[in-house]
Amino acid sequence: MPRYRIEYRKEGMARFISHLDLVRTLERAMRRAGLPLAFSRGFNPHPRFSLGAPLPVGVMGEREYLDLELVTALPEDEIKGRLNEQLPGGLEVTRVWSIPEDAPALMATLEKATYRVDLRLVRAITPEDLRKIIDGLLALPEIIITRRSGDKKEKTLDIRPGIHALSGRVEGNRVTLEMCLAVGSRATVRPEEVVQVLAERFGLPVADEQPGVSRTGLYCGG
Amino acid sequence: MFELEQVLHRVQKPARYVGGEWNVVRKDWDKTAVRVAFAFPDVYEVGMSHLGLQILYHVVNSREDALLERTFAPWVDMEGEMRRRGLPLFTLESHRPVKDFDILAFTLQYEMTFTNILNMLDLAGIPLRSEQRGPGHPLVIAGGPCAFNPEPLADFIDLFVIGEGEEVIHELLDLYLELGGHRLDRQRFLHRAAAIAGVYVPSLYRVEYHADGTISAIEPVASGVPARVVKRVVRNFDRAPFPVKPLVPSLGVVHDRGMLEVQRGCTRGCRFCQAGVIYRPVREKSPATLLQQADEIIRHTGYDEISLVSLSTADYSRIQEMVRSLLDRLEGMGVSVSLPSLRVDAFSVALAREVQRVRRASLTFAPEAGTQRLRDVINKGVTEENLMEAVSAAFAAGWTAIKLYFMIGLPTEREEDLHGIAGLARQVLARGKEMGVPGNRLRVTVSASSFVPKSHTPFQWEPQVEMEELRRRQRTLRGLLKGKGLVFHWHEVEASFLEAVLARGDRRLGRVLEEAWRLGCRFDGWSECFDFEKWQEAFHRAGINPARYAYRRYAYDDLLPWDHIDAGVSRKYLVLEHKRAMEGKATPDCRTGVCPGCGLCPTLEIEPELLEQVEKNASG
Repeated sequence: MPRYRIEYRKEGMARFISHLDLVRTLERAMRRAGLPLAFSRGFNPHPRFSLGAPLPVGVMGEREYLDLELVTALPEDEIKGRLNEQLPGGLEVTRVWSIPEDAPALMATLEKATYRVDLRLVRAITPEDLRKIIDGLLALPEIIITRRSGDKKEKTLDIRPGIHALSGRVEGNRVTLEMCLAVGSRATVRPEEVVQVLAERFGLPVADEQPGVSRTGLYCGG
Repeated sequence: MFELEQVLHRVQKPARYVGGEWNVVRKDWDKTAVRVAFAFPDVYEVGMSHLGLQILYHVVNSREDALLERTFAPWVDMEGEMRRRGLPLFTLESHRPVKDFDILAFTLQYEMTFTNILNMLDLAGIPLRSEQRGPGHPLVIAGGPCAFNPEPLADFIDLFVIGEGEEVIHELLDLYLELGGHRLDRQRFLHRAAAIAGVYVPSLYRVEYHADGTISAIEPVASGVPARVVKRVVRNFDRAPFPVKPLVPSLGVVHDRGMLEVQRGCTRGCRFCQAGVIYRPVREKSPATLLQQADEIIRHTGYDEISLVSLSTADYSRIQEMVRSLLDRLEGMGVSVSLPSLRVDAFSVALAREVQRVRRASLTFAPEAGTQRLRDVINKGVTEENLMEAVSAAFAAGWTAIKLYFMIGLPTEREEDLHGIAGLARQVLARGKEMGVPGNRLRVTVSASSFVPKSHTPFQWEPQVEMEELRRRQRTLRGLLKGKGLVFHWHEVEASFLEAVLARGDRRLGRVLEEAWRLGCRFDGWSECFDFEKWQEAFHRAGINPARYAYRRYAYDDLLPWDHIDAGVSRKYLVLEHKRAMEGKATPDCRTGVCPGCGLCPTLEIEPELLEQVEKNASG
């Protein structure tokens, strides 16, 4: 059956939709769009589509992906147009292309994600200060943090191997960080964890407020 | 906006507060003459499951000169963040403060939300009491089932709508505009509004009390204000406005599916049931209307399930035909049909079997009482045979678990009735075994709620059974329902007690509500939030003995706190029904053509809208 990869954005207030609710919202949009959806077999059939790495609630996604199966082929532009007519505000399909039926599942192939983090500082720093702070972090051989999972169990782990790149720029009392971090089933590093290390161990004077976080891309291996 | 976004990062389920759902209506604020904020005093997931919200959203937003936006009770974490940052209660559509609206309209679905109403007013920055509000404050109105005894909220609500809101809301908005919109004189508006049928303005009534605290008089204090407010009912229900483009929540809600209202009202006449009285008479929609609405709902929402909602869907005249036509149309689209409640009989199980696509583990029935005697007292026209037929059909169709709903503390309940509940549960279990349901999957769950006497019912005069005794009866049942395959659930008696106090309360309870809210009572319907000790303290501070409200047996000629609110059913009939209950006599279903004489049709000059009748009238 024809298979498509769909690139979409999740931003504005839609970033507060949870992963599970996003799946439901997308399914309803696909139904309204009248796409010839392929359904799973079984007693309770569901349209066959799957999302890439879940986006945490509150984080914007600039280039998110999902794979969709249809029973009959449709032009890519038509899929994009029909979906965009039916998506609620904050969700938008930006690209659709067809992929081989036997292409590996999205989730299995994703390994890295890039993020942009906008922070407000409590006092201004120079670009030189920021460079030193970032270099300081990158020079560490390991970064052990504790992470609390849903059921409040704490575990410690080394996030350094999952930080592939980190850079930043200063504008007055605002800093924008660009990060490339591990994502996927094996190891995931969260951008807030990196910010926390920069603040607590290297003295980046971040304000006590939620930074604006966008996931700017998702990448396979390599 | 920045403040709101910061807050959203810190709370559970932020999608509760963001809006922007599919089919949301956003109107130009400056170009819209009258702006209504519709407030559901519970969380988003509960409020968005409520059909009345969707109907009024549609009805008001269909007007060019009006807009209606939604607000819900913020959960405790959100309330904390809002108070910490001074963020006022806002609507989901425009994120504007509720205080900026012309009208704030609460829906009263259950008594245990009353403290949330006070909390929402306070979060909005609106004075709690009507008398403290003036120009620049929204009018605070309320409607819904609990408006049938509005008195506990009389101090806080400027105006109540009694009965169905689809039509009267237009009359209120028209009057609002006629009197000058947001520049209008509040008192003049309320006085004029009080003359609209179905509108109750509590400040225009005076309540007087006897020395013993009972009510001696409830009278209008101004001319042109009716002595009794008669409920509103929508006529020609088949043509009533209905939302075929409902809001599609972007957060999993309690009832997350399309809703098709097949009929309004119920003819069964269970004597404990307030909905059975306040939604009279029964009015059915035609299959043609329903099929068209179903198609549109599915097309505009993308739901994979549509539910046929009403108080008793299996009673709809053409239910079988309706279900088949719907399945024919929708199955190809991967859309299923569901029934919200099942009547206790084999017919209903057959229906449930026809519609089920997803095999859910359990089926639920509500025999309500454990013996035939007590079921006759409450006029629940269900026999043991009906139940056994129903569960046999269910087991035969592959269901392995049965849930049974009962009430304890019903008037005249005796020990044998408790044993009857356990007996029925065991019989159902035995039938399951006989029919070969695997032992590890066979389960009978008994849920026993405690009877709460409600206004406008034949049991309105009855006391609630005292808490200690209810606890004892729960213990008895717990003992009787031990064993493999049996599960017993019960409700906190304190919550049922409070519900009874509020359900039959008068305006003096306003002080208690305010004290309770000040003590921090919120979300009293949520067991994790309900704090009975705080309520006791509130009663103490207000100098009110709650037991007098819950445990009092009224005499037929006592003046009841809600006697100036007319649900259309005559007092004479309620008395007759109460007497018949005490004699264990059943009253026929008015659908059978035998009129039990409740008095509603002549009073409201209306007739039940049953398909057969409607078609007969149409053809000649």
